[in-house]
Amino acid sequence: MSRNATSKRFSEIAVGDEMPPFDLPLTATVIVAGAIASRDFMPVHHDRDYAIAQGAPDIFMNILTTNGCVSRFVTDWAGPEAVLRNIKIRLGAPALPGQILRFTGQVAAASQEAKEGVVELTIRAANELGDHATGSVVLALPLDEQ
Amino acid sequence: MAKDGPDPLRAGLETHIGKPLGGAGPASAPDEVNLPMIRHWVDALDDRNPVYLDADFAATTRFDGIVAPPAMLQTWTMARPRIEGIGARGGAAGKIAADNPLTTLSEAGYTGTLATNSELEFERYLRPGDRLQSSTVLEDISQRKTTALGTGYFVTWVTTYSDGDGEVVGRQRFRILKFRPGDAGEDS
Repeated sequence: MSRNATSKRFSEIAVGDEMPPFDLPLTATVIVAGAIASRDFMPVHHDRDYAIAQGAPDIFMNILTTNGCVSRFVTDWAGPEAVLRNIKIRLGAPALPGQILRFTGQVAAASQEAKEGVVELTIRAANELGDHATGSVVLALPLDEQ
Repeated sequence: MAKDGPDPLRAGLETHIGKPLGGAGPASAPDEVNLPMIRHWVDALDDRNPVYLDADFAATTRFDGIVAPPAMLQTWTMARPRIEGIGARGGAAGKIAADNPLTTLSEAGYTGTLATNSELEFERYLRPGDRLQSSTVLEDISQRKTTALGTGYFVTWVTTYSDGDGEVVGRQRFRILKFRPGDAGEDS
C-alpha cells in the first residue's frame, strides 16, 4: 500500500478534523511479529496454549506494538515531518487474532509555538470487544513558512 | 472503593515508593540504536514512514537523517530474555529481584496483572548509534481498591531513558492493576 511522503502543514489542520480511520486486520502473525520486533518474549504474546491457561481468550497484542500502531496511524495521516511528543493511552479490551482493530482519531487542540505547530489528537483503537486503547497523541508540525 | 481499616501489606510496600523498582540499577541497552532492529520493527508493524529507513529522503526532512520510530523507545533497553523457563517465570525475561513489590503482591495472593495505562514522552528522536540506559522508579501504589476483576492495587512506575551523555531522551509512565482473581464484586 502506498503512503503519503508529503507532510501536513499546520495551517491545514483545524480542531475537530477527523483522521481517516485505519483498519488493521489482526492475525496471530501480526501479533507475534510485533512482540518479537519489540523484543517482548512474554509467552502470552506468542503461545496460544499459555495465553489460554492464563485466562486470556487467545494470544494478544503487546503494549509496545499498540503504541507502535498508534504512532503509525498518526504519521500515516500527518506525514514524515511530524514529531511525536507523547503517546498516552489507557488500555482496555485485548487485541486478539481474527478481529479487526480499528483506529480512529480527531484533532482535539492546535496551538502555534515559536517554531512549530502543536497538535493534540484524541485516539481510539477498538475491536468487537470494545475499546482496546483510548488516549491522546501530541505532535509537532512545521509552520508554513519553513 | 477503598476498604476501611489498616492495610499492613500496603504499609510495607509504601516504603518502596520513590525508589528504584526491585532494587535494580540502571539497565543498559544491549545494542546501540541500529538499522537492523528498526527494519525488523518497520516490517513487523508495516510502518512505511520513510524517515525510519530511507536515508536519502530522511536527509531532506527536518530530522536531517534516519531516526528510529519513537515508539521503539522501550525496545532498546528490553532485557535479553532467558527463554528457558520464561513461562514458569510468568514471562519475566530473567530472574526477578526478591524485594520487588510486584513479587510481594503476587505472594500475598494478588497474582493477577492487568496493564491499565502507558504514557510515553519523547524529548528527542533517537538515531542509529545512540546507546541508551534506563532507570525505573516506583511512583505510586494506590490504596486497596475493589475492581471488576477483583480486589487489588494500582502500581505505577516511571522509566527514564538517557543517552550516552546522560541526557534524558524520553520517559514512560506505566500503570498496572495487581489483583486477587476471583474475589470480584464482593462489595457490589
